[in-house]
Amino acid sequence: MMELVGSIIILAGAFFLFSAGLGLLRMPDAFTRIQAGTKASTLGNILVLVGLGFYHPDWSLKLLIVAYFVLMTNPLSSHALSRAAHRIGIPMAASTFTDALRDAENEQKGKGAQ
Amino acid sequence: MASDRGTAHNGVAPSPFGSISLWLLLFALWLIMNASIELPVVLTGAVIALVIDWIFMCRSGTWWQVILTPKSVVHFIAYTGVFFVELVKANLNMLRYVYSPRIDIHPGIVKINTGLKSPIGRLALANSIALTPGSLVMDIQGDVIFIHWLDVKTVDPGLATEMIAAPFEKHLGAVFG
Repeated sequence: MMELVGSIIILAGAFFLFSAGLGLLRMPDAFTRIQAGTKASTLGNILVLVGLGFYHPDWSLKLLIVAYFVLMTNPLSSHALSRAAHRIGIPMAASTFTDALRDAENEQKGKGAQ
Repeated sequence: MASDRGTAHNGVAPSPFGSISLWLLLFALWLIMNASIELPVVLTGAVIALVIDWIFMCRSGTWWQVILTPKSVVHFIAYTGVFFVELVKANLNMLRYVYSPRIDIHPGIVKINTGLKSPIGRLALANSIALTPGSLVMDIQGDVIFIHWLDVKTVDPGLATEMIAAPFEKHLGAVFG
């Protein structure tokens, strides 16, 4: 019974991970792709870890630490990637209509030139 | 631009309480990961935790600024609940975009203002925002957080703060200040 529940949870996690991959392919530009990858893969990972916890209840503390590690580092890496992408001027999707960060940077460059 | 991030908090003196709590956390992690209480394992863990603790305390003393009261514990639990609800909402939202026949989004980068002061509080807020529906933190400059929003509803900083950060900020403010 425990193994069945664990399997179903792992399957749900795999579905989210698959969706993350599909999102990476379908989204229009780098930033929206990073978004798709971050969110769906975080929940997918956590669900897989929870499912593993049902298979091996004695691992649950370690799995909790791994889940917490994913939760902490996944947003950090996506933040670093998107920041770097924006800094080197990766083009944004055509439907993008506002970019406050670029405006702020231009403003600062203007100040530096004076 | 980088200057206002690094220098603002270096004036805080490292406290023994922070050092000890960091050591305890590292040591507990070591014990859980090893799942053993044999003497050599425990001693190695204690030494390694001490070295990492020392390095962190030399570089900055600001890692531990949590306000520990019963009220802040309640707020932290409430924050965890809000966080998981938002995480699931973010994923369902993302599924809707990913599986729709035509991806109809209006992405953009907007500014929001944060009332949080401590660096660890801001870290928690930025991480939470990255995992909530359609938003991703791009940069933090002083009080201003730049957010890439998958479907921009407003470019006004006040309204955007209300929509993105307000559910977390209330609880995080009570825990981290």
